[in-house]
Amino acid sequence: MAEEFNTESMLDMFLYESGQLLEKLEGIILEKQDADCFDDADINEIFRVMHTIKGSSGVLMYENITKVTHKLEDVFYYLRESHPDDVPHTELVEKVLAVSDFVTGELDKLKNGDTPDGDEHQLVEDLDEFLGRLKGEITKQGIQMPQANKHEEPKQFYITPVAGDDSHFYRISIHYRSDTQMSNIRAYSATYALKEVAEDLLYTPDDILSNEASGDVILAEGFHMLLQTKSSKEEVISLIDSSEAEEINFDELTKAEYGKALAEFGREDAVTIDLGDEQKPEEKEKKKDKPAPGDYVVKTKEAGKGKTLAKHQAKQQTIISVNVEKMDALMDLIGELVIAEAVVLQNPDLKVPGLELSNFQKASGQLSKITTELQEVIMSMRMMPLTTVFQKMKRIVFDVSRKLDKDIELEVIGENTEVDKNIIEHITDPLMHLVRNSVDHGIEENAEDRTSLGKPAKGKITLEAKNEGGKVYISVKDDGKGLNKDKLYQKAMEKGLIENKQISEFTDKEIFRFITLPGFSTKEEVTEYSGRGVGMDVVVKNIQAIGGRLDIESVEFEGSEMTLIIPLTLAIINGIVVQVGNSPFVIETASIKEFVRVGEDSLIHEPSGEEYIVLRGECYPFIRLNERYDLPDSIHNVEEGIVVVLEHEGSQVCVLIDKLLQEQEIVVKPIPPYVKKVKGLSGCTQLGDGSIALILDIAGLLMHDGERR
Amino acid sequence: MKILLAEDDFASRKFMDKQLSRYGECDVMVDGEEAVDAFLMALEDDEPYDLACLDVMMPVMDGYQVLKAIRDIEAQRGIPKSKGVKVIMTTALNDERNVKMAFELGCEAYAGKPIDVEKFEKVLNKLGLI
Repeated sequence: MAEEFNTESMLDMFLYESGQLLEKLEGIILEKQDADCFDDADINEIFRVMHTIKGSSGVLMYENITKVTHKLEDVFYYLRESHPDDVPHTELVEKVLAVSDFVTGELDKLKNGDTPDGDEHQLVEDLDEFLGRLKGEITKQGIQMPQANKHEEPKQFYITPVAGDDSHFYRISIHYRSDTQMSNIRAYSATYALKEVAEDLLYTPDDILSNEASGDVILAEGFHMLLQTKSSKEEVISLIDSSEAEEINFDELTKAEYGKALAEFGREDAVTIDLGDEQKPEEKEKKKDKPAPGDYVVKTKEAGKGKTLAKHQAKQQTIISVNVEKMDALMDLIGELVIAEAVVLQNPDLKVPGLELSNFQKASGQLSKITTELQEVIMSMRMMPLTTVFQKMKRIVFDVSRKLDKDIELEVIGENTEVDKNIIEHITDPLMHLVRNSVDHGIEENAEDRTSLGKPAKGKITLEAKNEGGKVYISVKDDGKGLNKDKLYQKAMEKGLIENKQISEFTDKEIFRFITLPGFSTKEEVTEYSGRGVGMDVVVKNIQAIGGRLDIESVEFEGSEMTLIIPLTLAIINGIVVQVGNSPFVIETASIKEFVRVGEDSLIHEPSGEEYIVLRGECYPFIRLNERYDLPDSIHNVEEGIVVVLEHEGSQVCVLIDKLLQEQEIVVKPIPPYVKKVKGLSGCTQLGDGSIALILDIAGLLMHDGERR
Repeated sequence: MKILLAEDDFASRKFMDKQLSRYGECDVMVDGEEAVDAFLMALEDDEPYDLACLDVMMPVMDGYQVLKAIRDIEAQRGIPKSKGVKVIMTTALNDERNVKMAFELGCEAYAGKPIDVEKFEKVLNKLGLI
């Protein structure tokens, strides 16, 4: 729906543009935070940003925003005109950030449909005082004072409509008793009563007054209304005269459903409610052109035709080209399409011997190509660069390091790496936590501690993102004190978080992973930013929820590196379908190392019941899927079945299956919530013949195996 | 002051009439053509309007056409910008491009419906009408 790009309401446009400008502003500020002063280009840019926001907020009459940006614009006006030396740079940076925060806060209020009522006085006073000092400095340095910054009051104003987010949408159907006289008049009086409270009202049949025959239609099919109002259901019901009504159906709709219903009612302007599909083509054409005077002439009303109260509220939508819900819906549909394609191409009817299929094969090849492309396109549509997320991290490092009085430099690598939008939403908080941790716990308290170890006095945090083998790696690396294994071990023991084992029985990674246990916090003092012991476990949980994991590397006194490893996309994978007993399973192709047939003599049976397989001198844990999931009628003898060697993060496991079925693109569907979470299974999918296959989760299998041991 | 109100929807018309009558004499028109006629007539009588509130979606001529016509007439008669009638568009069409177009056509303010009465009054104030 191309129109969505430019039919945004004035308010949405303002929010979007200002948001973009502020982001740019923060970018400049954070980049130059450690410099001695802003250069001319920056000053000009900040001036321009403030000027633009001031102007548009003036037109929309958000006075507090106008005042604040006006003041800051003044400050930068003097900087631009007089180039005074010795500007207190840090203070200036703080002022700009304060203004940016204030405006962001007000914009957020607007986004939520609230009034931007933040008190600007303190901020304006601060800026005034700063400006006063700046002017004093200019005079002292003997620079000629520039002419006062001229402000033009906006001459044109935009009055934003009263926020209408609390509107309700109803579909009302009245069925009158079959012997009702003049049902059309009754219906009209119902609409008349509702007009009092209606913001929008549409009814069908719509020629009830002028067409007497409409009475029969109403008796036969009922009288249907769509109503948008601020009144509650009870109030609306009380307005409708129900004396002759046999039945009144009353549904509350969401805004989207209402839009759809409007289109079904055949309303021409239904497009304003966000539904393009039902439009007539010529209208679509018109919509795309720039509006011109004369576009909105209302056709003369036909006598007695119902006219709607044309009082639509501006729809509120994120400006990201398309509503995310629609993208998700499209994604689901494409998933279904891939399944349907498999159903067709692997249809059992095609397996009749002697069938001439060469044309079919050609056509199906074409079809496969298109569906694959379709998948790629939708994937790329959902991709967004990590830039905004990383921008936030810059701000956090800036804020926290200043609060804690640590000198830290942040290096950002690969901020243009693109990941699925869903993933961005899920990693922002965990990443924020990791960055805070690095600043707070990672980097040493005192610069001396660093210099004595031969490290530069200034701490360094590296934020890096890269894209490798279908996975996204985002790492937060610091050159701080690193993790102390003994301390971690002791702490975990003290808190009773681990089994009673010697420290030597744990691998380094296992010890580092202690910090992700709930209730673990190594810092003795709790600071404002971290150390409450909730956090790392939440980080891990959030990451696991999107199929990712956290990898921790650390060398004491040299630093730590936390890496988030997340699948690039969640929905479609290449898989091999295998069979155990009567149940098909799917294994992700990327995690399969090899298929082997082994003899009984390669098996090692432990007294505890565990089994291992020795392959070319290497020993791997062995899992019989049929026993794990209690599957009857399956092969027990290793020599008759197939052993699949699976790998995940460097550890291997072997599973026994009955036979291989096929390789296929698999659309991952979550296991429905009414099935209890089963370890070792990550989802399910539908196969070509319509049956359901379960997807093996290698990490889960390994973990389960580890716990059992 | 003299006010011209062009609005074809009955409920909105009644509401606006009530609001505007507080500030002065309000002439109510139901379509765009009538509005232009009324504007011309007032000029002929040398009693021009101070404020015009124009709905956009109207029969015969829409609000943008009326606005354009008014500004054209003013230009043709050599009425300076500062002396021209102040125009406020009142409409539910809040698309940014519609608003921008109206500003380019020369309206003083653009009020989205439902109208925020408080802000509306503020604008009248800023335009020096009250």
